[in-house]
Amino acid sequence: MKDDFEPTIIGFLCRWCSYAGADLAGTSRLQYPPSMLPIRVMCSSRVDPVFIITAFLRGADAVLVAGCHPGDCHYIEGNYYTRRRFACLRKIFETLGMESDRIRLSWISASEGPRFAQVVTDYTDKIKKLGPNPAKKEIFL
Amino acid sequence: MKGAILKIENSIEKTIIEFLKKGLDKKLFDVVLIPVKVPAGDSYAWVLVQDKALLEDANPLPPVMLVQGAKALSSITRRGKSNKKIAAIMRPCEIRASIELSKLQQIDLENICLISIDCPGALPLKDYLEDTKKGIDTFKKVIKEWGNESVRPICQMCDKSVGLSIQSDLHIGIFGAKNNEIYLIPSSQKGKSILEEIGIPAEESMDNWEKKTKEFVETRKKNRKKIQSTLSEKVMGLDNLLETFSNCINCHNCQSVCPICYCRQCYFESEKMKLSSDDYLIRAESKGILRFLPDTLLFHLGRMTHMSLSCVGCGACEDACPMSIKVAQIFSIVGDRSQKVFNYIPGKSIEESLPLKVYEEDEFHDVEKP
Ligand code: SF4
Ligand code: SF4
Ligand code: SF4
Ligand code: FES
Repeated sequence: MKDDFEPTIIGFLCRWCSYAGADLAGTSRLQYPPSMLPIRVMCSSRVDPVFIITAFLRGADAVLVAGCHPGDCHYIEGNYYTRRRFACLRKIFETLGMESDRIRLSWISASEGPRFAQVVTDYTDKIKKLGPNPAKKEIFL
Repeated sequence: MKGAILKIENSIEKTIIEFLKKGLDKKLFDVVLIPVKVPAGDSYAWVLVQDKALLEDANPLPPVMLVQGAKALSSITRRGKSNKKIAAIMRPCEIRASIELSKLQQIDLENICLISIDCPGALPLKDYLEDTKKGIDTFKKVIKEWGNESVRPICQMCDKSVGLSIQSDLHIGIFGAKNNEIYLIPSSQKGKSILEEIGIPAEESMDNWEKKTKEFVETRKKNRKKIQSTLSEKVMGLDNLLETFSNCINCHNCQSVCPICYCRQCYFESEKMKLSSDDYLIRAESKGILRFLPDTLLFHLGRMTHMSLSCVGCGACEDACPMSIKVAQIFSIVGDRSQKVFNYIPGKSIEESLPLKVYEEDEFHDVEKP
């Protein structure tokens, strides 16, 4: 049963780096699983943790936030704030016993098409092993 | 540490009021922000008093916490500094919330003198309202026996209620006030000069009081761990979380009374949360069923991510919850853990930056996944 489980991963990708990286992976015809639903944001720091929780509670099997490498943010320092917020959100997930593996932060630059494909492939594998998000079945959410 | 000693006349409350009157007399401050017993009933309200005579009815340590003091202070100064000097007498958690709010630009502390007081806790609002006469009597006991269990659970686990764990201008030490005396301990220049002007410079040793408050804080810390770990087990995991909040009626009282939730427009009450019927129908279809109102857990988890780093554990949310959900206790667990990530103690110091307003280039690599 778990074998035919195809995870849905919501990807918040920053417009300047990670989304461009995804584009490059596409135009370079790199192979990676079609599990990610990309959402383009202006900067990784635009992602309010509430967006991540919303996706998670609505049944996304995982949420990826991706932005420029530290030091390369188009807005100079946006991703440093992203990282702090993410550290806080992770701690909240852990504290409340929610699977923190279902949220992930990665840096992918505009030129890293292969890396984008790799991240999606690896993360999809990992989530496949973890199984579907239990929130999907919670009716009283 | 040095402080001044005041002999208790009549009662602790009256002694503090006499002190405040002297401050008004000498124009060390122009007005006092303090709780007053509402004449019509056994309730308490924050008032700004200028008139010495009206200070008579004030109660620096009411048995319950109605409006969180930081909210009162913020409504006065959110549009800029006060042009008169205000002395604000508050419980430690109210002072700490005020400091957080000043960092969030919701309070201007320039002309404010924050006066904190050792706090024995507050009674749960519900208990108090059931029988206010009894409540007032119970509270008399509470002030005498530190650690009394009639106070709110969040107060029983509060480890910043006594001593100098906070940064006010002046602290009133009443913990273990023996020999019929209370202490005035300045922690800023403002506080120091007030004592000097009144003619009671801080020259007495406070070592004994300090030692005792520290011991008390240690037992409280243990209590906090214990209560939190028992509660943790009950709320951890999605199923338990849903169970915990299953009675929530989505009234958002917890948010609207919280001093830290200052947003004029809360995200969870904004247009963003008013979704089209299609949205709900699609969700209902994919699950087979959808509860209404939906997104209750989203509200609580979302609120945690927005404000838990500044949660001062004041218990206002829990007092305001009509469904007796242990909101403040749960938020205190999440708050403690998330604050620890940044070694941040909300309200401890005005100089310390809010954790999400600063960063270092080289940090938190453990959350970045290659
Ligand atoms: S829950 Fe968030 S958006 Fe709402 S008032 Fe609190 S901090 Fe503001
Ligand atoms: S969440 Fe509750 S305990 Fe924490 S600051 Fe707000 S009202 Fe106080
Ligand atoms: S006050 Fe209580 S019932 Fe109302 S929203 Fe908060 S937790 Fe739910
Ligand atoms: S623009 Fe890419 S992380 Fe800020």
